[in-house]
Amino acid sequence: MSAGIDLAFKSLAPRASDWAAILPELGVAALSLFALLQAMVVPARLRWLIPATARAGLVLVAVMAVTGDGGVVRPADEALFGGLLRHNLPMAGVRLVFLSSALLTSLMAGRFLAARGAGLADYHHVLLVVTAAFMLLVQSDHFVPFFVSLETAAVGLYVLVGYLRRSEASLEAGVKFLVAGGLSSAFLLMGMVLVYGTLGGPGAGDSLSFPAIARALAAGKGTVLTLAGAAMIVGGAAFKLGAFPFHSWIPDVYQGAPTPTTAYLATASKAAGALSLLLLVTGPFAPLAAKVAPALAGLALLTLLAGNLAALATADIKRALALSGVSHAGFLLAAITAAVARTDAEAFSYPAENVVVLYLLAYVAGTFLTLHSLSAVPAREDHERPFISLRGLIRRSPAATAGLCFGVGSLAGVPPSVGFVTKLLVLALLVKAGLWWVLGAALVGVAISIHYYFGILREAVSRPGEDREDAAPLEVGAVSRFIIGALSLSTLAAGVLILL
Amino acid sequence: MAALPAQLLQAVVATPVATGLLLIAGRRLPRALGDWIALAGFVLPAALAPWLLLTWTDLSIPPEAFRSGGPWGFGLSLNGFSAPLLAMTSIVGLAAGIKAMTQDVEARHAYLGLLLFMLGGTLGVFATDHVVGFYFFHEFALIPTFILTLFWGGEGRRPAAMQMAIYLTVGAMASLAGILLAVDAAGLDWAGATFEGVADALLAKGAPRAAGALTLFGLGTLASLFPFHSWAASGYSAAPTPAAMLHAGALKKFGLYGLALLGLTSLRVTEGALGGWLLWLALGNTVLIGLVCLTQVDLKRLVSWSSVAHMGPVFLGLWVAGARGSASGLDAAVLLMTAHGLSCAALFLLSNDVRVRAGSYRFEEMGGLASRAPVLAAMFVAASMASLGLPGFGNFWGEIGVFLSLRAEPLWIQALAASTVVITAVYTLRAVAAAFFGPESAALARRAEAAPFGDIGWTSRLAAGLLLAALVAVGFMPSLVTDSTNRVSADVVKYARPAAKTPSAR
Repeated sequence: MSAGIDLAFKSLAPRASDWAAILPELGVAALSLFALLQAMVVPARLRWLIPATARAGLVLVAVMAVTGDGGVVRPADEALFGGLLRHNLPMAGVRLVFLSSALLTSLMAGRFLAARGAGLADYHHVLLVVTAAFMLLVQSDHFVPFFVSLETAAVGLYVLVGYLRRSEASLEAGVKFLVAGGLSSAFLLMGMVLVYGTLGGPGAGDSLSFPAIARALAAGKGTVLTLAGAAMIVGGAAFKLGAFPFHSWIPDVYQGAPTPTTAYLATASKAAGALSLLLLVTGPFAPLAAKVAPALAGLALLTLLAGNLAALATADIKRALALSGVSHAGFLLAAITAAVARTDAEAFSYPAENVVVLYLLAYVAGTFLTLHSLSAVPAREDHERPFISLRGLIRRSPAATAGLCFGVGSLAGVPPSVGFVTKLLVLALLVKAGLWWVLGAALVGVAISIHYYFGILREAVSRPGEDREDAAPLEVGAVSRFIIGALSLSTLAAGVLILL
Repeated sequence: MAALPAQLLQAVVATPVATGLLLIAGRRLPRALGDWIALAGFVLPAALAPWLLLTWTDLSIPPEAFRSGGPWGFGLSLNGFSAPLLAMTSIVGLAAGIKAMTQDVEARHAYLGLLLFMLGGTLGVFATDHVVGFYFFHEFALIPTFILTLFWGGEGRRPAAMQMAIYLTVGAMASLAGILLAVDAAGLDWAGATFEGVADALLAKGAPRAAGALTLFGLGTLASLFPFHSWAASGYSAAPTPAAMLHAGALKKFGLYGLALLGLTSLRVTEGALGGWLLWLALGNTVLIGLVCLTQVDLKRLVSWSSVAHMGPVFLGLWVAGARGSASGLDAAVLLMTAHGLSCAALFLLSNDVRVRAGSYRFEEMGGLASRAPVLAAMFVAASMASLGLPGFGNFWGEIGVFLSLRAEPLWIQALAASTVVITAVYTLRAVAAAFFGPESAALARRAEAAPFGDIGWTSRLAAGLLLAALVAVGFMPSLVTDSTNRVSADVVKYARPAAKTPSAR
């Protein structure tokens, strides 16, 4: 007996190559601790060092992640840490999604928090912890690391949403997020219990491990309760993604949260939801494809319509962007559905999981470009930004207007932006997978979305009446200009690069 | 190394885009320098594209000489339909550019730069044979159109721009879906997805009907096919004049061009029930929109509506080519597209000159303008005559060609189609009479007293003269266009009606 335990421990003991495989995550975690350390020792006038080192570190980690997994080459399907982790997704792109979201959030948070007298060090510490957790989440091959990293990220996000302690809106959003997030975690946990309980048993192996679950399901061991468990788990991931009908928390939380946190929620958190959902439905639950695919298709269809129709009815920019994020979740769901419905689905020679990653990258660029441009416009309250507040922006700041045009244009999917190209890839996937109803909903959704996207741009671009008094030119700092310019350029260039 | 014509074709598309970029980036450049840059962007395409049309019709030069690869995965090339449309666009672009440079507007460099983007995108539409590439260029041209309308547009620009954005996006999305379906059904890779490649691949297999329907109604919306036309009149009316010239004259032809090269060949949009729809809706453009034109009391709105009505005969030409295999109908449709672009741009241009003098576009405030501005009156009358299809102008050959190719149809179809000539004559002549002849209106007399005005200056004469000269050239030598289109029309008709079928189904 003790020999068996010994053997089990040996197989679990991490090897050097396991650590090397998660070097970028370790790097982000180290940066996060470093931010706390700096907060203790750095004198007040050198406080700017904290975000600066975090940003420089994130850039370095991103370079490391993109140039080849920390220099270690290994087969993609190798189990890490005794089967707890596995690189099932294209990791370079996936890591880039999270690292760039964190970097751009930090760039946005600097001025935002300083203007409101909130601490930078704690914000960066939590932001980096959450980022590292998300990066581990999408490598999980086992429900234990899956749940642990998901909860680590969730707790951090509760803090980030309620970060402005003097703002009622921020605190209210924090509480709402806590309640809704707690509920979804409970569902997720219940689902795991059901799956574990119905598939486990003597000799069944570790039925929290993704491959073991897939094997058991393929062998026909599932019962109705297993299905219910799978549905609950998928629902938990759909909550993160913000898919219908788990989207109702999104507008309130996004609107109330500090804008940098909103941006992070909209990008990194949504990406984590999309990627973990992709991981689940193509991994442990792949044998259920015949049941999962129609359900996901229905979810995608409803999400596309619900997000866009709800956004139509709002006149607040942050709320409209939050709800448009729901429709983007619909596009991501559509791509995931295509991946489940037809495992060999390709769009212009990109496999479905690469399409999801590319869509996320484009979405990150478009969202941050839009929000960076918007943050140039002063608002009396961070959570109140009516469309009308943009009126005449083109005269006040051509740079911010141009950034807004590129950002919103990319989110809306106007050619030749990268947003258009990635939408095209998803549409092509849908054609390949024969998901005509979802394709129709996607096209209808895009048509509806033009109304509110164009509504935002219309206020910014229209020639204002002559009687406006607050039409003083806006100062956009050199750093903001650089970020807006670089992101604008990337929304244009990336589309071309993808199609090459 | 690409051949010379291919390089010139690249220059035609790249010059307006590059100069536009320069102007927008260099907002603080001195005004004179900016004007020279803009002028280069407008003049160079207008010098090269007509030459390319002449070179294209020279059979000793192979079509490959016009082809070049592109860094974005699709190349530039020319075909028999696009060569005349490219030349037409470049001339309309030059006239619009001259008009824009005489206007005194806020943020002049940005205005000219965006107009150059619009021109570059429109030229790009006709300079590639890649089915996604031509769509890409169209969208590239639409974005500046919205900005131009929103910032520099006239009355009612905000609702008009929103309406236009929704209609055009829905149309563009539907046609994109249709195109993608066709490419997918053809099983082609990105590089092979040219008009010819898709048509060849689908000749045997046939395309999904959904693709045909999406493309017909999508591209139809973009070309203001009845009843998806309601964005057009308000959109053109609200746009600044140079943007309206380029949009109604040139950019709108994207939809028709796409239907001719993709709809008729690969997607068979004239087959079966879809063909019936196209016929009826085209008659809707011809007759119903013609009647709408009769009720207009505002010159710019009339010109806008009439440009919608004039799409009717073009759609009829496309229909008869696809449904009846009439190559001459297709020839005439492309000829009419070319001529309409020129005449419609001339009418928008001169209407603005009328407005500058009368202070309004409303007929009731005009009258008797001819005595104060005889050259303007003469040019306006000429453009109107061109638009109603008087012999001597290009439109005549287009319209008569369409009507002749319809001669095997039932009499009522012919009658409804030909009624456009009568209706157009009524509203055009009425407009000319109201604006230029008869007694001078009290409002005009007061204006002339307060701020005396004369005839149009040399810049307007030059811009309108260019368009009218091109119209007369096509009117007297329709072979300028038909030499280029003939070969393609015959091929397209073959694709539309594969040889296996009997000549007449009905």
